[in-house]
Amino acid sequence: MTTDAKPRRPGDWTAHAVMIPLAFISVFPVWWMLVTSLRPLAEIYSPLPWPAAMTLENYSYATGVIPVWTMLANTMIFSIISTALQLLTAVLAAYGFARWRFFGDRVLFALVAMTWLVPFQVVMIPNYVLIAQMGLVDTLTALVLPNMASAFAILLLVQAMRSFPVEVIDAAHMDGASHWRILWRILVPNLRAPLAALSILLFISAWNEYFWPLLLTRSEDKTVIQIGIQMFLTEEGSQWGPLMAVSTLACLPVLVIYLVLQRQVIDSFVKAGLR
Amino acid sequence: MTHTLSTLRAGAAALLFGASVLTAAAQPMPATIDEPVTIRFYNYNLAGAGIGKDATVEMIDSFMAANPKITVEGIPTPAPDVISIVQADVIAGNGPDIAQIIFADFSYAAENFGVPALEDIVPAEELAGHFGGLFPRGLELGRLDGKTYGLAYVFSTPVLFYNADLFRAAGLNPDAPPRTWDEVGVAANAITKATGKPGLLTGIFGPSSYDWLYQGFVKSNGGSVMSEDRKTLTFGGTESIEALTMMRGLAQSGAMPNSTSADSIEAMSTGNAGMFLITSAVQAVLLKGAKDKFELRSAPMPTFGDKPATPTNSGSALMIMTQDPVKQRAAWELMKHLTSDYGYNIITSKIGYVPLRQSTVESEEFLAPFLRDNPVMSPNIAQLQSLTPWQSFPGPNYRQIMTTMMTAAEQAVFGEGDIATLMTDAQANAQPLLP
Amino acid sequence: MTALATSSIPRRKAWLRRQPLAPWLYLAPALVLLVIWIYGPLAYAFWLSFHEWNMLPTAPRRYVGLLNYERLIRLPDMKAALWNTGIYLIGLLPLTVILPVAIAILTNELSGRWRDLYRALIFVPLIIAPVAAAAVWRWMLNVDFGIVNMALRGMGLSAVDFLKDGDTAIWTIIWITGWKLIGFSTLVISASLSNINPALIEAARMDGGTEWQITRRIRLPLLSPTIFLLVLLTILLGAQWSFAYIHVLTQGGPLGSTSNVYYLLWQFGFGSLAAGWASAAGMLLFVGFGVVAAGLIWLMNRASFHDN
Repeated sequence: MTTDAKPRRPGDWTAHAVMIPLAFISVFPVWWMLVTSLRPLAEIYSPLPWPAAMTLENYSYATGVIPVWTMLANTMIFSIISTALQLLTAVLAAYGFARWRFFGDRVLFALVAMTWLVPFQVVMIPNYVLIAQMGLVDTLTALVLPNMASAFAILLLVQAMRSFPVEVIDAAHMDGASHWRILWRILVPNLRAPLAALSILLFISAWNEYFWPLLLTRSEDKTVIQIGIQMFLTEEGSQWGPLMAVSTLACLPVLVIYLVLQRQVIDSFVKAGLR
Repeated sequence: MTHTLSTLRAGAAALLFGASVLTAAAQPMPATIDEPVTIRFYNYNLAGAGIGKDATVEMIDSFMAANPKITVEGIPTPAPDVISIVQADVIAGNGPDIAQIIFADFSYAAENFGVPALEDIVPAEELAGHFGGLFPRGLELGRLDGKTYGLAYVFSTPVLFYNADLFRAAGLNPDAPPRTWDEVGVAANAITKATGKPGLLTGIFGPSSYDWLYQGFVKSNGGSVMSEDRKTLTFGGTESIEALTMMRGLAQSGAMPNSTSADSIEAMSTGNAGMFLITSAVQAVLLKGAKDKFELRSAPMPTFGDKPATPTNSGSALMIMTQDPVKQRAAWELMKHLTSDYGYNIITSKIGYVPLRQSTVESEEFLAPFLRDNPVMSPNIAQLQSLTPWQSFPGPNYRQIMTTMMTAAEQAVFGEGDIATLMTDAQANAQPLLP
Repeated sequence: MTALATSSIPRRKAWLRRQPLAPWLYLAPALVLLVIWIYGPLAYAFWLSFHEWNMLPTAPRRYVGLLNYERLIRLPDMKAALWNTGIYLIGLLPLTVILPVAIAILTNELSGRWRDLYRALIFVPLIIAPVAAAAVWRWMLNVDFGIVNMALRGMGLSAVDFLKDGDTAIWTIIWITGWKLIGFSTLVISASLSNINPALIEAARMDGGTEWQITRRIRLPLLSPTIFLLVLLTILLGAQWSFAYIHVLTQGGPLGSTSNVYYLLWQFGFGSLAAGWASAAGMLLFVGFGVVAAGLIWLMNRASFHDN
């Protein structure tokens, strides 16, 4: 149900009055990043909000010294696979929590939530040793393996599933639909909003990962873009122009994913009835 | 008679057996490489994108061209994480064969990563041949308990960069830069008063600085951070407290704000700071920023009155970490290549670090022309004569000791509270952390 | 009306027989993964935290009991770090919960194009790499050449050294961390908002309710599970979220005023691989925040309200 044509309401003016400054504050620093990437070295710290002398030298330099496109591709593949697997395991697990009450479900739920609290550095070395024993250092598989389940995804989906009207489920159940069928035919199609939102967020989380890829990859062409960006922070001083150029390039895939999926987040109120 | 003979023979056999056991244990490396071998070189210059990486790649490529049977796999490991990555790989059974280890971690690496002493694996004559020509003080940097576990590779000394234009604006003479800390204080205050810009910034504090410059600073007042036998911490000593008190004066006068490394480098390179005491490695960035904007000059590290200057080294050493004799030979060959005249020529002229050989400095083929064209480098080179080792703390808690010391020192300079109490308390807290 | 439930009148025998196997099957993949990659290593870390060892096979391993914990708790900066952590969490909540709720609701009723545009713009901070965000803000707030201070001077106010002044530094880091996350929370709340039955809203409007009343009586209560989730997330992860910015911008300074318990433990525990320190630090964070989490989840279960 789209709502493109709506009558103007007085509340709209409040909304615009609040949103315009907020939107500006949100975008301006990112704009600054873009502008810096287009500035020549001598002007890098200029306070002008636009590039006085626009140049692409930062981009050409950056793409020349590090394999930017390979890194972007690696990050893309890793993020997509990671997100897909996290969604899958979360949908299944959330269903388990939301649909049934069983002995130990509260404790289990708490245990799942608590995995959030485990700082990465604590599990980093044992996980690394496990990966090394499997002979997977410096591979894409190794990047994905520890990231196949996300407690955040599970919690979000549990809450979304629990707000699904139970009458629809019961009706389907009485009609003889199996648990599996109910999950995939009724629940999931109507959870497009949280699933889309979750996909975006999990993707970004994978996209911004730095420490685990740092520990795992040993060659430039197997690593991810965050490592690539930080390669411009060297012991001999930082190269801000190329860094901003690579950061800008790194933003684009994420922006695309957002634009594609965000429509799903709006207005997908559950449709009644079976499929 | 036969009894004695058989005893003799048995004795001789025992001697021979004993001798062969000894040689087997020492396991000297083969004199040449006959079969193809690959060595893994963990290096943090490779993990950056810029002059460091290019120079390193150039040196590795020239080595492989000269040694066709040796393949060097360069593994980029960012500087703040080198020791973690090396350790993780050693734990996983796949450690480096040779690695570039920052001096703060030198002792830890030597203790834990199976680093052979060069005296144990390299024939004495060959070792002397390579060591001859290296500044004796430079060699000292890689020594622990009398044995050499690594060779100083990319490192530099502290240099006082200064903005000649701001000097003139404050009525100071840029041709006579301050030599002592008192003079620095006067100059810094003058600059701040005349221009409103910070008179002095230093790279002493901040996690990426570890404690190398701090050690140089307190040692030049006669202080120390630990005893000779490395069993007692001494950073709460009176000389250190004196030095810190002087610096607190500077901070409180407003001439020296507490600034992070990144901010300080930016301030200096945009002409917004009078003086900057930092590793010479950042000179390329500073020179680029100064180009056509202001005149950048350099002076040696300030002294405390008449006391001798003790410029400490920053940077890293090359350490061999393999037990395999063939790989040890390959790694040693690489080490020689990187610490030869050729190697130091590239390290100095292309990255901005300091050479460990006088021959490189004087040779027309190598650095002499470069040094003539780059007077900004000269204090750095001159300070090599008085190079003082950046000491690394022993034991597994070395990082925590360093962090305790530096946190207290920063509080002493930029905060409040009695400096003596701060430092002696920190020393007392850190002492149990020694092994 | 209860949410999904299979039965409401348990009897002992029937209860046992009716303990379903199915949920365990659905939970299995996630649980197995969490055990392998998180709980397993955590148990190992727990054991390690009572030793002094760097995990190298050749190195000696010494049992030290609670020594690692003692050393960490007694760190001179610990008290300040704990206090700062409280400030971080309280300071972040307006940015990660209150503001996003307002944004999601305000934009929800706008026409499609405006709503999509605003939400996309609010989302933009999330797509930029944290290190780039930190650098850009650092320049914009720089006291010499930063545009924010130039604007302040232009308005006749004095420049503020946002990141170096002990009073403003922590609020600056909170701002940057929160700024980066506004879009995240807005997205999560929008997703929940769109699950609200529009019929409810329409009915309330027809009954003459004002926007504010509708928001207060219908939207907020129905959003409350999501809101609680975000509050939980902020409280548990706020200290970690700010880590990247603290590390790049202030390194805990000036003089520890921007440090928090996660950063301090990182400095002393994770900075080196002395595993005893790191493991003890990790356990302290885990147990400490675990207690907080347990309390909040209990609250969440009590107060959640579902639309049925």
